[in-house]
Amino acid sequence: MSLVEMSGIRKSFYGVEVLHGVNFQLKAGTVHALMGENGAGKSTLMKALAGVHRFDGGVIKIQGKPADIYSPSDARSLGVAMIQQELSPVEELSVAENIFLGREPVKMGFVDYKQLYRQTEKLLDSLNLNMNPRTKMKALPMAEQQMVEIAKAISQNAHIVIMDEPTSSITNREVESLFRMIADMKARGTGIIYISHKMDEIFRVADEITVLRDGGNVGTWKKGEIDTEQLICSMVGRELKSQFPKVEVTIGEPILEVRNLTLAHQYEDISFTLHRGEILGFVGLIGSGRTELMNSLFGITQPEKGKILLEGEEVTFKSPRDAVTHGIAYVTEDRKGKGLVLPMSICHNTTLPSLRKFTKSGLLQRRAEGNAVTRQVSSLNIKTASTLLPVKSLSGGNQQKVVLAKWMMTEPKIIIFDEPTRGIDVGSKAEIYKIMCDYAAQGNAVILVSSEMPEAMGMSDRILVLSNHRFSGELRRSEFSEEAIVQMQFKHMISRRNDDDRSDVK
Amino acid sequence: MSQLDPGVQIKRRTMSRRQFVSTFGSLIGLILLIIIMYALKPNFLSTSNIRNILRISSINGLLAVGMTFVVLTGGIDLSVGAVMGCAGMYSAYFAQTSMNKHWMVAVLVGVGMGLIIGTFNGVCVSYFRVPPFVGTLGSMSIAKGLTFLLTDAKPIPSLSTEFKFLGGGNIGGWLPTAIVIMLVVLAICFTLLYKTRYGRYIFAVGGNLNAAHVSGINTKRIICSVYIISSVLAALAGIITSARVTSGVTSTGDGYETNAIAMVVIGGTSLAGGRGRLWGTIIGILLLQCLTNGLDMLGVNTYYQMIIKGFVVIGAVMLDGLNAED
Amino acid sequence: MKHLKKTLTLFLALFLVVATFAACSSPAQQATPSESSAPAEANSPEAPSASADTPAKKLKIGATYYSLQNEFTMRMDNAAKKYCQENGIELISYDGNYDAATQLSQIETMIADGCDAIILNPHDAVACAAGVEIAHQAGIPVVGVNTMVESDLLTSYVGSQDVSAGEDIMQFMIDHLGKDEFNIVIIEGPMGQSAQLQRIEGIENILAKYPKIKELARNTANWSRSEAMSLMETWINSFGSDIHAVIAENDEMALGARQAIEDAGLDIPCIGIDGITDAVTAIQEGRMIASDFQNAEGQMVGAIEAAVKAVNGEQVEQFNWIPFEMITPENAVEYVNKY
Repeated sequence: MSLVEMSGIRKSFYGVEVLHGVNFQLKAGTVHALMGENGAGKSTLMKALAGVHRFDGGVIKIQGKPADIYSPSDARSLGVAMIQQELSPVEELSVAENIFLGREPVKMGFVDYKQLYRQTEKLLDSLNLNMNPRTKMKALPMAEQQMVEIAKAISQNAHIVIMDEPTSSITNREVESLFRMIADMKARGTGIIYISHKMDEIFRVADEITVLRDGGNVGTWKKGEIDTEQLICSMVGRELKSQFPKVEVTIGEPILEVRNLTLAHQYEDISFTLHRGEILGFVGLIGSGRTELMNSLFGITQPEKGKILLEGEEVTFKSPRDAVTHGIAYVTEDRKGKGLVLPMSICHNTTLPSLRKFTKSGLLQRRAEGNAVTRQVSSLNIKTASTLLPVKSLSGGNQQKVVLAKWMMTEPKIIIFDEPTRGIDVGSKAEIYKIMCDYAAQGNAVILVSSEMPEAMGMSDRILVLSNHRFSGELRRSEFSEEAIVQMQFKHMISRRNDDDRSDVK
Repeated sequence: MSQLDPGVQIKRRTMSRRQFVSTFGSLIGLILLIIIMYALKPNFLSTSNIRNILRISSINGLLAVGMTFVVLTGGIDLSVGAVMGCAGMYSAYFAQTSMNKHWMVAVLVGVGMGLIIGTFNGVCVSYFRVPPFVGTLGSMSIAKGLTFLLTDAKPIPSLSTEFKFLGGGNIGGWLPTAIVIMLVVLAICFTLLYKTRYGRYIFAVGGNLNAAHVSGINTKRIICSVYIISSVLAALAGIITSARVTSGVTSTGDGYETNAIAMVVIGGTSLAGGRGRLWGTIIGILLLQCLTNGLDMLGVNTYYQMIIKGFVVIGAVMLDGLNAED
Repeated sequence: MKHLKKTLTLFLALFLVVATFAACSSPAQQATPSESSAPAEANSPEAPSASADTPAKKLKIGATYYSLQNEFTMRMDNAAKKYCQENGIELISYDGNYDAATQLSQIETMIADGCDAIILNPHDAVACAAGVEIAHQAGIPVVGVNTMVESDLLTSYVGSQDVSAGEDIMQFMIDHLGKDEFNIVIIEGPMGQSAQLQRIEGIENILAKYPKIKELARNTANWSRSEAMSLMETWINSFGSDIHAVIAENDEMALGARQAIEDAGLDIPCIGIDGITDAVTAIQEGRMIASDFQNAEGQMVGAIEAAVKAVNGEQVEQFNWIPFEMITPENAVEYVNKY
């Protein structure tokens, strides 16, 4: 008998149906991967199961019994727990307090802290987690916060655990301990629904794989019945020839020259030249100063020393406004924080930096604006019912494309991409790469900041490596190799321990 | 949209019941209120009473319209009541018949006071990062002090006839000047907010300050400017009030800021910024003023009036909240 | 199910609002404090236009008070309601909420509502004059009460002279202390309000005659007991027992000051104006030396009588002075059961 049986699930947002009768089954003691492009409906389906969204039609059966799930607490009492992609622990409280939040052991009306810590310790021990129940959540790295979240789910006797992109912000070593934990949970008979875009993880951890596309089922396979190629194909609905559509282009004259740029504790003595037609990769560990450098190139922060030459002339950017008027665009790492105004419509977001173009004698030309946005939206293949919908109604990949659309409207000479494909499905990824290549081929230049090695190597003409706020090496396309890059990443960090260095994990 | 994935079935964009209620709740409330009042008291809809309601709505509404701009950026302006009193007093000072000045001088002095205090507010909040609540609380006290300082708290009587026309006069013998001023202000504000870059930037700044900044918007200037708008409109309200009561009175505008905030909130503008509508504020203004006028006419005890108004404000925001969850 | 819950919540909220509405508007409809209809319930105020045809036309008077949120005006209003009930007059009371502009629009509302006469207890003597003008244009008599309105168009004024009250309490304090060389502090009403302006004028008139009396401090406590209390605490800290007398422009503030004085273990004589219930008790207990009683009932009844006369086309006195009466420990007992 299935642990969870969802059949014919339907759900609409803003009058647009995003799930058209989806079926899904989870068996006890297995990991079932749920795959699909962003916007395919994975998260919505899981939120229906977790009681976050009320579904409009269909039946959910848990252990064979029809379940009425109207709220997260209903789901919880049925043993469903969801580990969200973006965790939201109560940072000021301890591990133990977080785990037992709202269910603290009570003695004579007061929280029985002795009991609380003892229970937590027992729980953590049983999960082979080595942490102090008294530590405040904010002191823990992301990965351990995630473990606490899982421990919490287990302490609530959850036998159905949903993990939404659990490895998106943790290091490789931490991934290993997560997988160990998953194995433990399986052994207890817990069913796990695992959402991820990372193929290698899926093939390692999943017993079954269900693929959704455009709010409907594509198919369900057992482990070993499907390979990467087929999986991608089923998700995208077409065959992706190559993940990276990089074409060789002739590199033109220099467009941006950076000389000895320095800002204390952020980046030091950085020099490089960017040419027309070029995609220049920037690689470095988190905290190596990549994003900080980009912020200065875009006028968000100002360098203390050094100069920036744009097409041969020295420029200073006092604010992003200056950078935008000089033809620079910046697709930020933090899409929701810095990229989009979430309550605003797709249309208004798209034209935000280029509104000047749609102004005639002080008044906005809304028809011209609307037409331009419609063109841009369709050329970038953004999936939406209307450009007037709030941008928050879109899936992650489509949101990122809106950010792109917005900068394309300014007709920039240089676009800085900072982690442009983080948390984005394969299909959107390929589309974004394609846009990037076409854009560079038109004689513009691209700076690509990336943590994903294949992406940086697949897309760049040249890679610059930063290590510990300093420049540590340059590689041409012919010289690209993962070992070389990794070595350069650690060049200025010899005294430190590698990849697990806590200070480098945000 | 032209390019849609064939797999996605698009239904016509229909409004759910909840969206409908949250969007039109206040309007429905207003209409219901008018019907109830009319049933209980036919005089409620007499020409002269409608004119009264519109006139008082115009004056108090100026504050709410200005406040809408501030609230859209996620701020709040507590100084509007005090600015209203201050500008009213200073313009009255120059409108005294004994001063023998052109009425425009008095108006300019009043507007100038608004401009100065508004700029002060704006600079504090945007460039010096003083939280709006604190900054405008401070200038509220400053404005109040300036008001008392002018005449030692004494009222200013006998204003010039031309000046008094601004508040009590009727254009063409039947259309109160105050209403005309409000209509002009509304026309300008609607244009600013919905037809210009500036308006779009206000929504962007309120919706996500960082994203607006990264998009190349001079966010500080936008934030600064909304406080100036708010103060200038408050000053205008003060000038009209002085003209209407034919004298400068120090207590003018006391406590008006809470009313203005209530009107904005009833209109569905979110105090968190970035989400709201100007026509909503207009409904908020009319709703509160009709309620006050109607309850007064019915002779409802003042304490009950307070209770009712409290429920109305909360009820309106509850309706609005129904839609916030998605 | 969830929809049902949502809808229910919504209805509950609406119901609350409507219920409150009904709860307070219906009594107002049927004859209650606010709208005192005469014995004949049938003659409902719901049909005002009809009343024009009936031979025995019921007089309709509107009254706007600068506020209905304090004891003094409530006393006036209660007196007015009682009088109107007895005499078959329809009365609608408005709360001006300490704002001249509000009172102005209330006058406009009364005109629109078809009131026969208006009683105006202005928040501001100058600003409310505009209201008198509006009513005059509409041909409706306005009777000022308690606080002067600076308008020639006022039909009549009924009140007490605040200047004389100021003079009375200052003189009483001097007589009480039996000397003309001592230190005082003065607690004022809201700056700019005419009662404040006139009472301080009276106080200053007397002080001008006694140059040896030293004024240590003067500040406003906005007619409020709690504000006066904290003001007095500050003064006690800075002047201590150098303060020989407290002159307050109303009783609330005098009582607040007295509380602060007693808390500090001192005994400084306090005097106020209005003669509110608490003050009468305080005078009996010897905590206040006296209070200049302002006859709220007398003023209000006088005002309504003047209004009725004016409507009937009779001659009305321009000014009707209702004298202040000094409440002292000797006569306090007479005022105890006044209300």
